[in-house]
Amino acid sequence: MKKRKSAGIYFVLPWVIGFILFTLLPMIAAVFISFTDWSIVGSNTQWIGLANYREIFQAEQFWHALWITFRYAIIAIPLVIVTSFTVSVMLSKNIRHVGIYRVIYYMPAIVSGVAVSIVFRWILDPNNGLINFMLSWLGINGPNWLYDPEWVLPSYLIMAVWGAGGGILTYLSALKDVPTSLYESAEMDGANQFQKTWYITVPMMTPIIFYNLIIGIISAFRKFTDAYVLGGAGGEGEFYMVYLYEQAFAHYKMGYATALAWILFIVIMFLTVIVNVSKKFWVHTA
Amino acid sequence: MTTSHTNQNNHPLKRFILHKSTWIHIALILGSVIMILPFIWMISTSLKTESEIINPQMVFFPQGFHIANYVRAFQIIPIFRYMGNTVLIAVLKIFGEVFVSAAVAYGFARFQFKGKNVIFMVLLATMMLPYEVTMIPTFIIWSFLGLTDNYTPLILPAYFGSASFIFFLKMYFETFPKDYEESALIDGATHFQIFTKIFIPLAKPALITIGLWAFMGTWNDLLGQLIYINDPNKYTIQLGLASFNSLSGEILWGPLMAASFIALIPIIAILLYAQKYFVEGVKMSGIKG
Amino acid sequence: MKKILRIMIIILVTVFTVSCTDNKPSNEFTIATWAAGTELSEFNAIVKDVNEAAMGKYVIKTLSIPSDYYIKLSTQIAGNKAPEFFWLTQELISKYADLGAITDLTPYLEQSESLNVDDYYEGVINSAKFNDQYWGLPWIANPFIVYYNKTMFQTLGVEAPTATDDWSWDDFIAISRQIAGKTYRDKQVYATVIEGNPNIETFIWSGGGDILDEDGKTVLLDSEGTVKGISNLVTLFRENLIPQYNSISYARNVYFERQEVAMYMGGIQDDFEKKILLMPEEDRFELGYAPIPTDPNGQSNPFDWTASTVMSTRVKDKDLAYEALEALTLAFFTWKIAPPIKGSIDNIGVIAPEKIPALDTIQHALDNARSANYTELWTIISDTYLWRGLYMPILQNPNVDYVDLIQKAASGIRSKIGD
Repeated sequence: MKKRKSAGIYFVLPWVIGFILFTLLPMIAAVFISFTDWSIVGSNTQWIGLANYREIFQAEQFWHALWITFRYAIIAIPLVIVTSFTVSVMLSKNIRHVGIYRVIYYMPAIVSGVAVSIVFRWILDPNNGLINFMLSWLGINGPNWLYDPEWVLPSYLIMAVWGAGGGILTYLSALKDVPTSLYESAEMDGANQFQKTWYITVPMMTPIIFYNLIIGIISAFRKFTDAYVLGGAGGEGEFYMVYLYEQAFAHYKMGYATALAWILFIVIMFLTVIVNVSKKFWVHTA
Repeated sequence: MTTSHTNQNNHPLKRFILHKSTWIHIALILGSVIMILPFIWMISTSLKTESEIINPQMVFFPQGFHIANYVRAFQIIPIFRYMGNTVLIAVLKIFGEVFVSAAVAYGFARFQFKGKNVIFMVLLATMMLPYEVTMIPTFIIWSFLGLTDNYTPLILPAYFGSASFIFFLKMYFETFPKDYEESALIDGATHFQIFTKIFIPLAKPALITIGLWAFMGTWNDLLGQLIYINDPNKYTIQLGLASFNSLSGEILWGPLMAASFIALIPIIAILLYAQKYFVEGVKMSGIKG
Repeated sequence: MKKILRIMIIILVTVFTVSCTDNKPSNEFTIATWAAGTELSEFNAIVKDVNEAAMGKYVIKTLSIPSDYYIKLSTQIAGNKAPEFFWLTQELISKYADLGAITDLTPYLEQSESLNVDDYYEGVINSAKFNDQYWGLPWIANPFIVYYNKTMFQTLGVEAPTATDDWSWDDFIAISRQIAGKTYRDKQVYATVIEGNPNIETFIWSGGGDILDEDGKTVLLDSEGTVKGISNLVTLFRENLIPQYNSISYARNVYFERQEVAMYMGGIQDDFEKKILLMPEEDRFELGYAPIPTDPNGQSNPFDWTASTVMSTRVKDKDLAYEALEALTLAFFTWKIAPPIKGSIDNIGVIAPEKIPALDTIQHALDNARSANYTELWTIISDTYLWRGLYMPILQNPNVDYVDLIQKAASGIRSKIGD
């Protein structure tokens, strides 16, 4: 047993060394920077203590950005996980041409952020875009999407669902590992398709769902590229990272932006810890 | 009685509708169309003439197949050279990233040691801090070491593992039964041998997934490459695509879409080739004894 | 373990030796630009000519930043690898000067025999001014003019302004009233379209108002002139002379190209001439040019977009560097429109022959070119108080009490500056 314990440390060591070499110093620097008025290009940086943090909590834009991001996350995360999981289950079956389907559903995830945003600008175009064009077949007059403050959030949710295929790689490899014997005995007990999925597939997949949940929380709160490119009417597209980016690179308030980053870090960490603690209640381990 | 019942359900059309895989197919096809339409628009724009692109009445399909945009794209940037540069970086990175991440994940998943949970939380934490604020301090460090305008800052860190890959592989390795290694250990194998000879082959689908992500990450990483590369000869494909924009000029949509499409082809090809590996199940029964 | 340590030491030693041999010749200068692709080829050709003319005295190298220009630029500066010269748009010059990142060029401009402050159009060189010193050499000017659809004006029987007309904003609104709501080519047309462009400065100036005084310390935003100017904007919305913001669903220029609006306020660089030639015959129209309308003082205030080349403070041999910078700037004047130097209007005809019919209007615009007083706090003032505090609320609801908004914005700016 002793031999077993110490061996693990050696396996993990490369990451620890890499962390110390490449990540720790910049992170410590980032802590210090958040207590200064560093402007990136200026030479006269001053220590200002908690002034950045104080300014943040009084900034209406901060609360607005936090709200926009939180509201998006709360809806998008479960939406994407359910979509991704459902599609993965469908694509794990041996239906004809399933290989092509898998590639097609995964394709949205391989395109870089800027290209996706440009394409969606067209899709969501109120007059000539794909969505309103299809809605007009059903006789519906589509909304102005990104040009209408009420429809900005739904626009971003649509983009999130379109990219939901990105998760299928994580599910597919594990779905096949579910022993068929479990399904067979369930069938003998008279279970139907839905019951088999709900009582066997889902519990066996909970580790992967857990992974996607954590990753989903992190990426929803750090959402940036499409929001930066597309924006949204009435300030409804000002996600937290867009606000941070502007403070850092348009106003050269890097100290302030770094403080914003640490606040976001704490928010994400808090949510992750909650999910991690809940792990023992719903994640099935081998 | 039974004969008429069978007759009704034997009608081909009814069987087609009642069979559940029909509905799955229909749903999948509808979804596929939605997934793929933006790409079709990208390709169709790349084949349009300039007046068709500018035309505010957004036409979906071009009149003819206007390949001048592709010719133009190659004139503006050396697409193949940039793709070659990117492949070079990607291959050098993937090798380190995949195997080191697997080793680290193995350490987290199959062992207990003091401080393991703390170290893992730190690993998760590194994924939560926006890189925009550590980007410049990191650059200053590399700059101090004289390694700018260089691929090294992009490649070297990969050899120490990548947090999100480690996280994923840890989950994957944890799905194997707890005493999987027991028999091999009794036979006198070292942990490293168990890792390379048993777990790596078992994790093939997951490793191929990680490899694909690593490749895509490099292929699509605009900001990192922008910060560390100055010399246009060293440009990657993303920097090449960015060359079609201009703050004080017009965006050349036609050639941009053409180049973007060309840039997508390698990834789609790899994806098509690799997708069958994602679903290789593990034959659990063969390992006992 | 030992083997690993040995390898690491070798790597570290190599790396440190490499980094210590980072010696750049002192007559080699790098210029950072956002030009990329075809634009970069043109840029490099100009740099090559300048280098050849210098005959070895100095060498200019190019650093093209095709994306996220300011991120990479500021990162380079922070990492002590600042390029000797770089392009800045006008709003950032004061900030970089205030932060000590760029060099004061005033003494050089005074002593130079080839390029002085007076050679520039006043409005253009002022954009590079901060604390009464000049910090950059503008190399391009893109002032606003009014493009209009001559064919539509004629068909609807509305009298159009002439190329150098001193028509006022009251005239502009009167003309708008004649056009808006009429049917043209089976569509209801509007006078023009506004959705955040043209910028709020254009409207503030339209009534004779301004944002900050010359000294950058006094806030002029809540003057009568500003109220009158903003009322022009509000009137256009309230009387439905332009489309409501929430109904705008494509880019401004597309409205003009589809002949759904009669007028378009844009920079002289906008390429409607080329686009019209690409249209099918029946969609083409005759393009007319007019200056930006005048304020109550009879002054036309076309907003001017300008970029300058600046010199980093980390340059060692500043005299030699300025020589190179000046040569480069002079070479740029033959590149794009419009060169910001007086008396070079004919160059425009050479660079962009399709703009020849517009030359009189362009000359008028350059003579009157104006930019806001860009102090070091400009980006915050513009984003927080002018855009969020004034322009955006008006766009969302034109019936809002704009005088109240103006006053709130003004006091906000005052507290920011410490007026």
